[in-house]
Order: sequence, then C-alpha cells, then structure tokens
Amino acid sequence: MFYAPDTAPIDLPTFKSTISLPYTLTPGRAAGVFLAEMPNRRIVGARFADGTVIAPAQDFSPRDGEEPTELVQAPETGELTGFTRVNGVVLGLVRLDGCRNSFVHRILADLDQVKVGQRVAVQWAAGDEGTSILAIEGFVPAADAAVGEVKPLVGAAEPLGVINYAMALHYDHAYGPYYGRMFDELKENGVVMGVRGSNADEALLPPREIDDITHKRTGTWKACADTGTIRACSLINVEVYGQTRQVPYAYAEIVLDGASTKMIHVIEIDDLETAKQQIKPGARVRAVWTTGERRGAVSDIERFEVIEG
Amino acid sequence: MGLSQVAVLASAQTELRPAWRDAQHIDLISSVVTNVFKGTGLTLDDVDFVIDSGSDVLDGRSISNCGFLGALGAHHKEEARVEEDGLWGALYGVNKIRSGASQIGLIVAYSKPSESDIDLYWASMVEPFYQRPVGFGQKAALGIQAQRYLAAHGIKDDALAAIVAKRWADAAANSKASIGEVPDSAAVLAGAEAAWPLTELMISRPLDGAVAVLIGSGDVARRTGRPPVFITGMGTSMETHALAERTENKLDSVANAARMALGKAGWDSAAAADVIETSGSSVIGELLTFEGLGLAAEGKGADVASSDKINRSGGALPADPIMATGLVRLAEAAKQLSAPVKAGAAAPSKAIVHGTGGVAMQTNCVFTLEV
Repeated sequence: MFYAPDTAPIDLPTFKSTISLPYTLTPGRAAGVFLAEMPNRRIVGARFADGTVIAPAQDFSPRDGEEPTELVQAPETGELTGFTRVNGVVLGLVRLDGCRNSFVHRILADLDQVKVGQRVAVQWAAGDEGTSILAIEGFVPAADAAVGEVKPLVGAAEPLGVINYAMALHYDHAYGPYYGRMFDELKENGVVMGVRGSNADEALLPPREIDDITHKRTGTWKACADTGTIRACSLINVEVYGQTRQVPYAYAEIVLDGASTKMIHVIEIDDLETAKQQIKPGARVRAVWTTGERRGAVSDIERFEVIEG
Repeated sequence: MGLSQVAVLASAQTELRPAWRDAQHIDLISSVVTNVFKGTGLTLDDVDFVIDSGSDVLDGRSISNCGFLGALGAHHKEEARVEEDGLWGALYGVNKIRSGASQIGLIVAYSKPSESDIDLYWASMVEPFYQRPVGFGQKAALGIQAQRYLAAHGIKDDALAAIVAKRWADAAANSKASIGEVPDSAAVLAGAEAAWPLTELMISRPLDGAVAVLIGSGDVARRTGRPPVFITGMGTSMETHALAERTENKLDSVANAARMALGKAGWDSAAAADVIETSGSSVIGELLTFEGLGLAAEGKGADVASSDKINRSGGALPADPIMATGLVRLAEAAKQLSAPVKAGAAAPSKAIVHGTGGVAMQTNCVFTLEV
C-alpha cells in the first residue's frame, strides 16, 4: 500500500450488505425419510451390508462411501462420547444403542452433570418442530435407561422431496481509500470521480490504487462528466430473482465522458420497440440524479436516459 | 532431493490486523503483489502464472477472484483460484513448475474475516439437515476435539495456557501480526469461554491480511538475490467430513500428508527440521499436528510445544488469516531458512510447513523446505 494506512482510524464506516440465498435442498432418501419421520417421533438409522448401523440415516457410509442395505428404527437411548459448550449450549456426540457412529445434538443438562460414557435418552420437543431434526429437543442424562435395540422400520414415511431453505450472510465491507473518496464525492458534490490510468488521461471507474492492466500506480483524481456513451446493453424483459426494479428496463455498460472504463447502470423503458431503436451501442446518455438526499452510493444516480437528437 | 528444482524466491505480507477497515481486498492484494518483487530482480512480466487463495463466502461474492484479477497482477496471465488455504495454491504452483510448463509462479492468499460473520462462515461448511440446526460449527467441533484430548491424556488447562501465551509473545516479536497486549497464561485462562474447555485465546484468532509468495524453477532461483529455499517435498490428505467418524485424538491426515512429504524429500523424520511452522485451529489442534507430524508421541504434543524450533513466528493461534494462514507459514519458514541467524538459530537448513482447512482441521498439507 502506498498511502499511509496507519493514519486512518480503524472504525471507519463500512458498506453493509446481506446476501440471502433461497435454496431447495434435496435430502435424498435416507435423510429424507429421517426428517419425514420426525413428526412420528421415530429416529431412522441406516444398516450396511456388514450389519453395522448408523444414525441419523445417510445414503452413504461416512467411513467408506458404501450404500446402506436398509433403513431401520434406531433406539432413543445411547451414550455420550464427547461434548462441549458453545454460547451456553451444551453440544454432545451421542452414540445411540446398537449404532456404530456418534452424531451431534444438544445435551439438555449443565456441564457439570455430563461426562463421557454416561447414558442419555432422547427428549422430544414439546412443540411442533415439523420435519426438522429439532423435533428432537436434545438428550438428557438417563443413568438407568435400559439399552435400546435397533428395530425394523415398519411403514416408513415417504422421503421428503425438497426442503425450502434460506441462508443469509451479513457483511461489513471496507470501502478503502479509493472507493471511500469516490462515494464521498458522489454524496457531497454529486460528482463521479475516478483516477487516471497509469499512462492515460482517461479515468478508471471505480478508482483504484493499481492500474489493472499495467499493474503500475494509477494517476491523479479526475472528475468525469455525468454524460457518456453506451458500449453494450441488454433489454431486460424477464423477471428473475434479485431484480431491484420492474421489467422492462435496459441494462447498459456506459463509458462516461472522461473515463476509459465502463460502468453498469440502468435505463428506463416505456415500450420495447422504441427502446430497441434508441438504446444501442454508440447512443449518448445522461445521468438522472436522485431527487432525494444523496447517500453516497451508485444509486444516487437513479438511472440514465438517452439524449435525443 | 525429490522436488529440488522449485524454490521459494521471495515473499511479502501486509500487516495482519483484526480489521483492515481502511482497505479493500484489492488494496491488500495489490500491496503484496507490488512488494514481493522488490529485491528479486524480477518483475510481474516474468511471472508465468498466478494462483490465488481466498474464500468466496468470506469475501461475500461468488468467484471473487474475478474482481481481484487486476490487483493480483493477473491481467492476461494464466490465473487459477484454489478455494483452500494458500499452501495448496503453492502446491499447485510447484507442480506446474515441476511439470516444465512454467518457470515462475506468483502465489497469493488473502483474507478479510472482519467483513463477515465468522460463525456463519463455518456454519456454511457443515451439513444442513442434521448439523446446522443444532448449532454445530467450528467452535463446537474444536471444543469436542479438545474435550476428548484433555480427557484422554490428563492434560491441564494451565499447560495449554502457557503454550498460547508463548505463541502470542513470539508473534509480537517475530511476525507481521498486529499484537496489542501480549496475554500471559492467567489472561488466557481468564478469557471468555469459546467452546468449553477452550477459552477465546485457545482458538486461532481470525485476522485480515494478504501474503504473496514468489516461486520459481531452480535455474531462476540460483540467479535471484539470496540462497534459494527449495521445496523438496509436499503432501496433502483429508479426513472424512463426519467429525465423529474421524480417529479420536489423532489427525490421521496430518500423518498421511507428512508421510508423503517426507518420502519425497527423503527424510527419515520431521524431527530433522530446524524450523517448524504449523497452523493449528486451536491449541489442541496444534498439539495434534505435532503428533501427526511425528514430533511427539500420542498425547505428548505439549512436551515439544515450547521447542525453539516450533512456530517461531507464533503460528496460527495469534494470527489466523483464514485461507492465507498456511501460506504465511511458508513465507515465515522460508525467511527463517534464508536469514538463519536473525531467526535465532546457528544454521538451520530444513523446515516443515503445515497448513490446514475445514471444520476441526479436516484437511491438511505439509511441505518440506531445504536450503
């Protein structure tokens, strides 16, 4: 880094972002049956050709990848083979009676009440946890619990097909010195600032310390115009997940006057036929700035519009 | 010497900080890529290929290397991403040069865990039907691993705390990690519980930073400024995903990776090394690594943990730039071999480097280095 980062405070504001992705998970047969049996309060295991059983059921042996020969009903008792406590919750490895493996679940006891080798028994959740493994609330110490047996799984439920699932990941992205100034200039002055390339007058947008192509230090800051030329575009008329506006609209790569790199933005469309005539490579466009308060974001430019004539 | 014709030519690191709030990934990356050439007589034009390691999940974008190509110096070069610790990136690069296809490779690894929720990053790695709902993740896995190890071998918490305190002191003295106050054993024990029996400081500390390592063929290495540090052996091995199915109180994959690397190098034992740099995800993970490498008998890892040969840079406990940690170990080991006196040894000539990845150190990689 060429600038003096030690002079900058560590608590600079960050760009907050969340990626939340919807999934349709496919559990497959073994896990699908296990989860489908949760409302029936039956624990499903899998038996392999050598006679050994694992629980919860898997379509493969985690040890050697072999397929199980049948699904079975595992007992509700077993022993603790390892444990820890994270965020106040005791998690343990439980080996159900008659099974060769352990699996992780909650241990519903204080840490000083648990020890490796002790007998435990399942505690089913009081509420309706549906087809989640959390239908098992956890395992409780059960010193006197009789040793359970693996039984045939009679009248197995149909495996779940797909499971709707969502995962959201949260980020605090650092702007860094270059993006930081660019967004500050957008917010404070309504100006798009880039830095000159290492050997050119035209500006790179977004600005950066090292020229991507030459890997040499970039030049001085430069204000670009808010007019430019379309270099590539696409008319979007299909709704897809993650869109931020109604279709139809155009998605364009625009070279602002004074810049050498393309920035991506949108152009609104009234009707597709007119848009096809007007919005194409070479067309001149101007930025339409937000009428509200500028926030220091690319969306401070609401959209671009074609300069007619 | 099995792989004698590939050497570490140079390395560069940013400071490893709890949070680089004033720098983007590209700022950290371009810094090390610019600096790694200084003093070598080589330039980016000499580089035949670039291999980078980082995590899309930590970065918050998919195929994140595509956005970093310019900073990586990879414009119009052969570039490949290894979504694993940078030590595997180096392994790939060494093989490319060994194959005769290339002469000089630039290996870059970076990390900004400060930008994301680290527990979610680990949760994304575990199984979604059985494990994620009950709250299983890296901390729980390391906690269970530690509970079992301590129970089996009767080791006391204060022995662990002393090891952690030594690592922090060594990192403050000998590494690029930003170390504020060096904790003593009492502070390690008094820290918040991360995953019983481990306190926060007994688990590796995620840091932001970047590292670049330049590797080259033997011919190139002999022409650059300092005595070449040759990569003479490499090995890698992976455990099963299911924690409970792994051998209790052992990291078989470390032993397998070490066996491969030592075999290539023609060494009888890892104990032949004068410099040992490892990447333990927890203090127990470190002890299991020493045992896997054959430096100590089972359950006796703590006996060698204070050796002056081991983790002179502090290792991964005080400084774990996830995905870059193993490559940092390679850089630190190569530095110690090429500047032996500064590193506090008369004339070290051999080093062992270890990198890891995954929940509770599922996958492991071992290099041997020689001057």
